[in-house]
Amino acid sequence: MAITFQQVGYQYPQLSHQKWAITEIDLLIEPTKEFVTVVGHTGSGKSTLVQHMNALLTPTKGRLKVFEYDVAKGKPLSPIRKKVGMVFQFPEYQLFEETVERDIMFGPLNFGVSKEKAKAKAAEVMQIVGLDKSLLGRSPFSLSGGQMRRVAIAGILAMEPDILILDEPTVGLDPAGQEEMMKLFLSLHEEYHKTLIIVTHDMNVVAQYAKRVLVMKEGRLVFDGSPQSLFEDYNRLTEFQLGRPDISYVIDSLCQLLGVEAPSHIVTLEDAVNYLMESN
Amino acid sequence: MQVVIGQYIPSNSWVHRLDPRTKLIGLLLLIISTFLIKELLTMLGLLLVVLVFFASSKIPLSRFFRGIAPLLFLLTFTVVFQLLLNRQGTLLYETTSYFGWLQLLGVVLIIIGYQLIKRMTRFRFFLFMLSLVAIFYVFQIEGPSSWTTFTIQVFEGGITFALFLVTRIVILISLSSLLTLTTKPTDLNNGLEEVMKPFKKLRVPTNEIAMMIAIALRFIPTLLDEANKIMKAQSSRGVDFTEGTLRQKVTQIISLLIPMFIISFKRADDLANAMEARGYAPGRERSKYVKFKLHVADYIVLFFTIAWIPGVITLGL
Repeated sequence: MAITFQQVGYQYPQLSHQKWAITEIDLLIEPTKEFVTVVGHTGSGKSTLVQHMNALLTPTKGRLKVFEYDVAKGKPLSPIRKKVGMVFQFPEYQLFEETVERDIMFGPLNFGVSKEKAKAKAAEVMQIVGLDKSLLGRSPFSLSGGQMRRVAIAGILAMEPDILILDEPTVGLDPAGQEEMMKLFLSLHEEYHKTLIIVTHDMNVVAQYAKRVLVMKEGRLVFDGSPQSLFEDYNRLTEFQLGRPDISYVIDSLCQLLGVEAPSHIVTLEDAVNYLMESN
Repeated sequence: MQVVIGQYIPSNSWVHRLDPRTKLIGLLLLIISTFLIKELLTMLGLLLVVLVFFASSKIPLSRFFRGIAPLLFLLTFTVVFQLLLNRQGTLLYETTSYFGWLQLLGVVLIIIGYQLIKRMTRFRFFLFMLSLVAIFYVFQIEGPSSWTTFTIQVFEGGITFALFLVTRIVILISLSSLLTLTTKPTDLNNGLEEVMKPFKKLRVPTNEIAMMIAIALRFIPTLLDEANKIMKAQSSRGVDFTEGTLRQKVTQIISLLIPMFIISFKRADDLANAMEARGYAPGRERSKYVKFKLHVADYIVLFFTIAWIPGVITLGL
């Protein structure tokens, strides 16, 4: 197992009232080939949860193991960050170097990779994130928003993490940009077999890409299973205050118009097409 | 990361309810008066008044000491220098001191010891005082090879004047912390704007200054939040902000500062647009949402603080 949570709880030290940001978390995540999405309301503990996986926060209670390392105060946390890469919301704000190349090399150099290797890596990851190599010499601040975000993601990929955590990676992009970004992640998952953990509010993303979905509510992990089983269970969806993918609403309205009972299993465009073909 | 911005402690005491303008003017006048007072007794009396203010404001006394704590070292130096150098009044204490290898070694050892222990203890000031006393005693030892001897003399004037200075500093600190503890930052700012109004005649852009202070106060927590996020993002890229050589430290700071600058400029841009969209034009007269009104307590405080200065001067206290 790559990430093992055992009854993990966390309290923010600043807050005087004794509220657990996350509590009693039990969770296992595989080192490769997982595609996990984390959903939940604002303030449900999603970000706190994923920051633990990157050892940015250490548990107040319980045990957390990431690969062979214990995540606890006073333990070396830096090797964990090399194995588990984390891309924050609006990652373009972390860029600071003079050139795109140097910014991508920053992470690997921090982890002791040689300059030559880091340079080669920078060129390689530029290709993965779909940017032209000619941009390497440019200042990151001269790029467009979408390009800057790709550079920031490239900077994390260059560290060659086994697991990649992304905190709302598509926020602030136009629909085309969002889809391109998701395609990029899908290729990372399919071609490079990386485990992806994506925090999102977008149920379409959950339905279309994820193999596993975690639902957080008031600091607790209340659901861990396939998107299909989540979206079919209307009662729990209401309980979690979550919506459904857009397409299932379309099918619902369509069925209502036609006066047939709406099926609950349709969560992606593909499902919808198949269903319509069959029933016609 | 936790930083407390503004020290305002909400409560409903009469000091809290005072008009911010009254508090500002009162503070200014009392501060001026501490530089006009000549007698130690008057100064101590003023300190007593300030302490009564503090007690009646329902602010926990621990906050009073917390305000003074950072200045303890400064106060100690003031006292030590006054005791050693002031030569007015009658001679109270005299002792012969020696200086030689022994003293040099002793002082170095005490400083090293202080540096080592100070991280481990919460009573840093107590340790500091202890070190000073230890240094004093080291100088009392007659070593086998003292280079020179000198006498330490303490005069009456030294003691009075040291006490006088300490009281003045304590009054200054506690008065200004009383102001910030009992007044909301926004009220303080609005009050400041009102008090500065006469300077408008001198073409001082008082409204703009007040607006700038208000914006700065408003954005400190936001920027701290952003800084926290950037620090986390860079930590994910292998930056360890807690340690590193000087060279690494420089890179760490740059990796934090440049994104912070960019975020601040972007925010400033957005804010400027938002303000303009809501009709803000610098220099134009703006109506006020909060109207201050003076109450009986305000008039009483103003009367006494204004009367206080001529009183001190004419009576020569």
